[in-house]
Formats: sequence, C-alpha cells, structure tokens
Amino acid sequence: MHKLLYYRLIPVVFVLTAIAIWLQPDFFERATGINLPIGQQPQLTQTLKVDKPCTNEHPEWRAAQIIDGVEIAESLLCDPDNPDNIAAFVLGMNNISMRTFMNSRIAGDALTKSDDLDGDGDPDIIHIKLEVLELNGATPDSPGVFPTYDIAPGIQPGMWAFSPKLRGMSVKNFRSQKANAILRAPSPVIRVEQGDKVYITLENTHYFPHTLHFHGVDHAFQTSSGGDNDGVPVTGAKPVMPGTTRTYELQPRHAGTMLYHCHVQTDKHLMMGLNGMFVVEENRPNNWLQTFNVGAGHVRHSSVAIKEKFDREYDLHYQSIDKNLAKTIQNSNDIRVISKQMHRVYNMSESNENYFMLNGHSFPYTLRDALIIAKPDENIKLRIANTQHSNIAVHIHGHKATITDYDGVTQNPAAQITRDVYGVSAAQRIDLHLQTTNDGLHSYGEGIWLFHDHVEMGVANDGMSPGGNIALLVYESFLGEQGLPKLRADALDDVFTNSYYAKQRPLWNKQEAGMLTPDYLHILLFGLLVGSIIGLVFFIIRGLRSEGIK
Amino acid sequence: MKHSLLILIYFIYGNSVFAAMNHNGMIMDAAGMIMNHNPDKLPKDCKAISQDIDITIRGGHKFAQGFAGKMFTYDKRDWQAPPCARINVTFINEDAIRHQFMIHGLPGYMYPKGMFTIELYGKGQKTGSFIVPSRDYTYYIHCEVSQHTEKGMKGQLKVGKGSGDLDSILGLTAPLTPDIYPIHNNKYTWIALIVSLTIGIYLINYLGMKIMTLLTRQPDSK
Repeated sequence: MHKLLYYRLIPVVFVLTAIAIWLQPDFFERATGINLPIGQQPQLTQTLKVDKPCTNEHPEWRAAQIIDGVEIAESLLCDPDNPDNIAAFVLGMNNISMRTFMNSRIAGDALTKSDDLDGDGDPDIIHIKLEVLELNGATPDSPGVFPTYDIAPGIQPGMWAFSPKLRGMSVKNFRSQKANAILRAPSPVIRVEQGDKVYITLENTHYFPHTLHFHGVDHAFQTSSGGDNDGVPVTGAKPVMPGTTRTYELQPRHAGTMLYHCHVQTDKHLMMGLNGMFVVEENRPNNWLQTFNVGAGHVRHSSVAIKEKFDREYDLHYQSIDKNLAKTIQNSNDIRVISKQMHRVYNMSESNENYFMLNGHSFPYTLRDALIIAKPDENIKLRIANTQHSNIAVHIHGHKATITDYDGVTQNPAAQITRDVYGVSAAQRIDLHLQTTNDGLHSYGEGIWLFHDHVEMGVANDGMSPGGNIALLVYESFLGEQGLPKLRADALDDVFTNSYYAKQRPLWNKQEAGMLTPDYLHILLFGLLVGSIIGLVFFIIRGLRSEGIK
Repeated sequence: MKHSLLILIYFIYGNSVFAAMNHNGMIMDAAGMIMNHNPDKLPKDCKAISQDIDITIRGGHKFAQGFAGKMFTYDKRDWQAPPCARINVTFINEDAIRHQFMIHGLPGYMYPKGMFTIELYGKGQKTGSFIVPSRDYTYYIHCEVSQHTEKGMKGQLKVGKGSGDLDSILGLTAPLTPDIYPIHNNKYTWIALIVSLTIGIYLINYLGMKIMTLLTRQPDSK
C-alpha cells in the first residue's frame, strides 16, 4: 500500500532536479546587462612599496678624482662605481695605500701587478684571482633567498657570477640581507694589455665544479707546466672542484673585445651568469689598465689607446635569465638536489628567456647604472657583448653608430658599416663608434634617447613592459642632479613599485574592471530546490526500507 | 711621465702595505685578516677575565664529507665558554680558497658591528682573541663567503648556559626551512600497510565480539 506511494514520489525527484538545473545560478562568472561593473582598486598580494628612482647612496663617488695617483673620470650616474675599487683595480692590491684598501672589499691577493718587462712604464705580470658567488640562493634559515640582489623592483632570480676575490661580509651589514655593492651581476669585465703575462686563478668558492674558458682571447691549449688551459673538462683536466683552485696562463698577442665563461655544463652554467667580457687593450707606454670593471658599464679609467681616439668608453653586457633555471638553486640546500634539478630535471632544449639584463640590471634599475652619458661632438666607444641564447638587435634612438670591430677583430675601415640596429648573436661582440655630432646622420641632437634590444621580448620583465634591457643615452644637458634624466614628474611612478612587475598594477586608469555581486535570489531558490531533492531522496529510501522490513 | 714616477714609488714602497698592519682593530697581511682582535679590553659587566679558553677550529670541504648534501663546514660546530672568558681562536683553513670564522652578537661598544672575524685567503692559520661578556648567550659563528653558511659552514658558541641552540647547524639542529624529500616506497611498504589493515579489522571484530558477549551476558546473570 504505502510502498506504492513512495514509488510515485520518485518522478517528483526527477522533475525537481530538472527545475534545479534550469534555475542553476552563475556562481563564478556571468554576462552583465546594460551596466558594466563598477571599477575597483587592484588586489595586491603584498603591501605596496615604492622605490626611490635613485637612492643616492654615494654622491661623492661621482666626481672626477685622483686616488693613489690614479686618475678616475667623472661618472654622473645615480649609482657610479666606487672610485677606491677602481684605483685598486688599476694599481693592483700590492700597490695601493692602506686607505684605499680599507675602502674596498677586495682581498689583498685578488690582483697583483708587477714587473715592467718591456720597460714601457706599466706592469706586465698580472695575477688575477676570481671567486664564484651566488646571488638570491637558497638558505636553510629563512623561506627567502640570500644574499638578495634585485635585478628590477621585486625581481630576485637565482644567479651566479665570477667576482674578483673579495674579503669580509657579502651583505651590506649584519642586519641586511642585501648583497653589498661589489657582489653583483654580471661577472666583471676583465681588461689586460696585449703582451701582458696574465695568470688567472679560479678559486672555486662555490658548491659545484667550475672552470674558466677564454673565448677569443689568445691562449695556449696547455699552461707552461702542461696543465689544462682551455677549461673544457672533455678535452682538458677535470673541473675545478669546490674548495680548490686552478691557474690559467695567457699572454694575448691580439687586442679586442672577447669573452670568458665557465665550461662545465656550459648551457646551464653560462646562463646562470658565469660569463663576462674580456678586453685585451693595445700595448702602449704607461698603460695602467682598470683590470676589473665590476658591473660593466662606464669605464672610468680607460686605456691609453682608447683615450687617443675616444672621449668615453662603455662596456655593455647583455644577459638573459630563464626563470625556471634560476629557481633550481632557490628550492633546496642539499647540493645533490640542486644538482639534479639544474643538470637533469631542467631541460635547456625547452628553455625560455624571461628576464633580460643590461649590465646586471633590468629596466628601471638600468636607469641607475647603465646609462650612456654624453655631450655633443664626442666620440664614444661602446663594447657590446651578447651572452643570451637569443640574438639581440640593439637600437639607439636618434643615432647611427659605426661598427668598427666584430668579435675583437677590426673591420677594414673602408668596409665598416654605419647603421641604427646592431645585430649580435649568442657569444658575439661588436665595438661601436658612437658620434654625438648633430649632423642628421650620426646624431639628431641632444636629448634623452632610449637604447634597447629591438627583439621585443628583451624589453620586458617576464613579459611585463617596459623592462628588460631598456636603457638611455642621455646628454648632460638633460641630466638631473642625482644622475637621473630630467623626465616628466610622474614618468617612473609605476615602474618603481613592487606591484608593477608582479602584474598587479593596472596601466593608465589605475582601476581594475570590478567583479559582479552574487545573484542572491537565484542562489536561494536553487538552494531550496536542491535541499528539497536531497530530503525527498532520504524520505523515499527510509520509507521503502521500513516497508520492506514489515 | 707621471705614471713612470708612480710605478717607481709603488714598486719601492708598495709591498709594505701588507707587512702586518694594525688598522682600527684590524690586523692584516697577505694571508688574511683579523677584525676586532681584543686580548685585553674587558666588557663593562666583567671585573676580570674568568678563564682563558683556547679553541682550535678547522674549516674546509673535507669536514663536510660526513654530512650528506653539504659542501663546507668546520670540524666542530658547537663550542662552550664560561662568562667573561678570553677566547683565543686559532682558525685553520684547510682549503685553498677563502674561509672565515665570523662571530656575531658581541657588545657593539667594543666590537664594531658586534663582530669578531678571522678571514684566511687560502690554506693557513691565524690566532686572535676576544673577550665575551657575562650574559648567558649563544653566539652565531659562520663563514660569510657566498653560500658557505647555507651549505654547512655554521656553528655556535654558548657562553654560560647559552640562550638555546641556533637552527641548521650540521649534526646538531634541524634547519628552519627544511628540504622536502620523496619517500622511496617499495612492495614492503604496501605489504606492511595491508597486513596492518587486516590485523586492525580482525582486532576490531574480535574485540567487538568480546564486548558484545560481555554486554549480552550481563542481563542473563541478573
């Protein structure tokens, strides 16, 4: 009797289910009607931090000065190189005053210069010691990275760099996590004189094996004692293991802009940052060279040969980072795990480039230390090296410069090309002669002229533009007090916030398209229906079971 | 011309720079440096040096070989000293690269930045001294060369009772942010799981039956 009643209720369940499906509200998204949602403030995942475009930490470093007898050119940048370091790099640590030594963070045996072999007034035996340092690496003592090095606001990819042998702390001070100014990308530019006897010792302070390979720099395959001198583990000795050292010997006969890099697991180690520019300068009398240009950029003590022809000299080192490769050193403190993640799990053939740097920084931080500063009617030497995978196509707004050298070899002057896009493939170098003569060809006059890679992924930070290797050629008449160009007052407001490159800051109108409010009428109706269906199902099951038992 | 003169001057006087200079509490030579060496100045809260503690600490790659996944460390990472002791540290670097013995947390009025440091540019050794104050405290010792602390070169010095242990000291304390490793499961893992499950089921059934019989018997006995 009752059983039949329960059976008759079953179709009701189906009918109610059909109605529920029909009346189902849009829970996550729906089309609007006539009125669009009201705009709202962006949702930030971190508190908004606005950087000063220039922190102006060392204004006293900008002026032209003489330290221990070394002439150091003026550098009007926001963040110029430490002149005491430059004096030390010109004279060698064995020839500087105590004051200069105390003001630098360089080890006493990092650079030794001695023996004027050819009697022309400069030292010809050069001993250089390089260490390997890590930036933004993992630490077991906090969830963050250590020591921190921001390539742009809020961007801290794991990186490596060669460094002149340092001393003391790697951070600014005990309370800071920030790498001190000398610990930075890219690996320093090394400058030696043609004919110098150069001994470069790699002191492997890192936890992985590394080597030095001199790309394009004249060097014998083996050292004078028969040791490995090419840095390739397959053709020479085993790599330099952590905690050990190896000395390479060079006596370059040919001058030009070359490279050096680690040749262990080269695809990964090179992209991690173990590569730098290596410049061989022409032999001249009294030619004391700035052996290291830390962070590349403006050369504040150029060689005699450069000074003969040029008013200023800049080293421009283009680098890229794959964020997935960079992460492999940030997630573990077990070197076996890091090695597996970097050398086996990570696949270079599936690599992407996400960050693009000029001289170790991406825009807007390039404004602090990677500007080319000029005056009208000057001759400027630019040495460009590309250590990315992808090609670069450097373009300087408002100027056409002449390519004088390819890979450290001077082009026949009659065949030199003047143009406005300079293509440089992986590991190639070119030297440019930039003239700031306002003649409608070489220069269109004074101004704040952008210069950047025209391969467009290179002008963004992980796709967020403006970023990447964008920098500026600024004429002094357009330069402000702290070494920044005189820009529109609000020109840099967005890019110096930590939310901009986190992609959480809307462009131009400052508001996100808002979200819609939930449709409560539909939700209530739907809830009631679903509730009734569940209740009814239980009612039927219970009823049928109790009938069955009877 | 000016440069030639410079060379002359530097080649004659240049090398004297590193003839064991003592500059603002910094003793240095070509092999390394000692910063904030203090063999005699007493901290405010100490009337006298309580004891001379001589410690010899070695640093290098070989000491980390007993610790999986690490690269550099000290031979001993846990040190003890009584309050107001003078600690004479002999730091021996057994690697050909740079290492440091750097200790933090000392009183800033005597030790600039609260630090005492011995740095060796390569193989070798140096001895320096510092005097600790009277408070019970655990001082942080490490090598600050890029990534050396993180990959094992960290220790502690407990003065008096100390103030607890520091994190991530090899063989002593766990890291604050530990690494996560996969578990190597094999057939025995599943056998163990199934066996324990089966035993559990039987156990519950057996116990349940026991309890039921107990419960049903009780009314009978009344």
